[in-house]
Amino acid sequence: MTALRRTVLPFAGFAVVIAAWWLTATTGITGKEVPTPGEVFAAAWEGLREPEGLLVDIRLSVLRVLIGVAVGCALSLPVGFALAWFPTLRAMFDPIINFCRALPPIALSPLVIIYVGIGEEARLLVLVWAAFFASVVVLYEGIAAVEDIYVRAGRALGASDLELFRRVIVPATVPQMFVAVRVALGVSWATLVAAELIAAQRGLGWTIQRSASFFRTEEVYAGILLIGFCALLMDMGVRLVQARAVSWQERVVR
Amino acid sequence: MTGDSSARIAFDDVHVGFGRGGKRVEVIDGVSFDVRPGEFVSVLGPSGCGKSTLLNVAAGFLAPDAGEVRFDGERVTRPDSRRGVVFQQYAIFPWLTVEKNIAFGLTLKRNRRSRAETQESVRRYIELMGLEGFEKSPPKQLSGGMRQRVALARAYATDPDVLLLDEPFAALDAQTREFMQELLHEASQAERRAAMLITHSVEEAIYLSHRIVVLGNRPTRVHEVVDVDVPWPRSPESRLQPEFLELRGHLEGVMRSLSGSAFRKAHP
Repeated sequence: MTALRRTVLPFAGFAVVIAAWWLTATTGITGKEVPTPGEVFAAAWEGLREPEGLLVDIRLSVLRVLIGVAVGCALSLPVGFALAWFPTLRAMFDPIINFCRALPPIALSPLVIIYVGIGEEARLLVLVWAAFFASVVVLYEGIAAVEDIYVRAGRALGASDLELFRRVIVPATVPQMFVAVRVALGVSWATLVAAELIAAQRGLGWTIQRSASFFRTEEVYAGILLIGFCALLMDMGVRLVQARAVSWQERVVR
Repeated sequence: MTGDSSARIAFDDVHVGFGRGGKRVEVIDGVSFDVRPGEFVSVLGPSGCGKSTLLNVAAGFLAPDAGEVRFDGERVTRPDSRRGVVFQQYAIFPWLTVEKNIAFGLTLKRNRRSRAETQESVRRYIELMGLEGFEKSPPKQLSGGMRQRVALARAYATDPDVLLLDEPFAALDAQTREFMQELLHEASQAERRAAMLITHSVEEAIYLSHRIVVLGNRPTRVHEVVDVDVPWPRSPESRLQPEFLELRGHLEGVMRSLSGSAFRKAHP
């Protein structure tokens, strides 16, 4: 049952949604023009086959997200540990971090253009911003929640502060690091369109905007679907690594 | 008794309270007793009386508000691997295998040993705790009883002068608990280390101890101290001996009256 549940049900979920979409499109129940799944898949296929087509956009967007997440998480890791370890720092910076986290990246892009310009680094800055603030909160909450009992056990066995950090706190936090990366990935994909609003040449967000200005609805849908699929695949990749790296974790199976 | 220089652990008029101002609650109200070298002492008391708080003070996790705990004549101010601790929730590191958990203390700078010594020590305690064949297992594959055996082996491995056991078997089922009591008794026979066991089980306290310190209700003081005259070493048959049964009857009566008076106080 569980094997069946894992392999078949996710596809069944997609099938249900696509069927509902197809019905909506063919019956015209909304009174608006909705392309059918077939039209959208055809548009996507067309774009993918075209030389210099959607594949270029996918590669560019994936690269941007990867760099944004990598840099954002590389910054949030030390900051997360510092905030978790020193309560004074946390008390000081927790509100400002939550403030910045709540700002929609799209609202920041005008300032980014003014100060950084419209080059690639401007787009990356927006993504790094999003990845950093999303992951840093997950990280320090997770590190601060490392069970006190492990810290006590480590101390009672004779661990110094540094040993406690390296050999107890860090390994105990690894599962949380994966959660942080997954959250950063999700937020970065969500931010991609905003980032590519900054005078981008190419990219999936850029395709969506361009297609919209030409009223090519099925291409808009195709772009959205591709973003979704890329995000999904990346998340699956991280989960695969996570399952191997933290196989020691006990999961509650229901 | 207190101030006895031969004591391994000496509680000297220890006071602990939590909270401030009007919300302050006194938990420990002047507790004094000793644990001598090689002696197994159980601390028995009704639930909520602050037994574990006493252990936390002895381990160095918690500073008392007044009084002090001395370890080999020195005031306890912080955790130290000469005082091994075993927790009710096992607290073995889930990311390490059984043997790496047991070796953990020996790989720290504080008590670093040579590779050969560490391996020898790990092997010895794997054997003592009956964990052969599970050296490479991750903790998630172990039952509660086996996890606690890993925790005991890990605590023994750093060669502590005293073992502090915080209701180590409370989370186990009755059968496993009895088995673990027998295992711990055999181990403490072989090791002859001082031990302080926190428990609310009269049977467990008698089975394992030379002496039992009975605590009263909160704010807690020592209610009485009894010597356990059940012949040594003990075996499952000891539980049926007249001395065992007599002491059990007495202590169960004391516990009942303590719990009863706490209950009446809470529900007048």
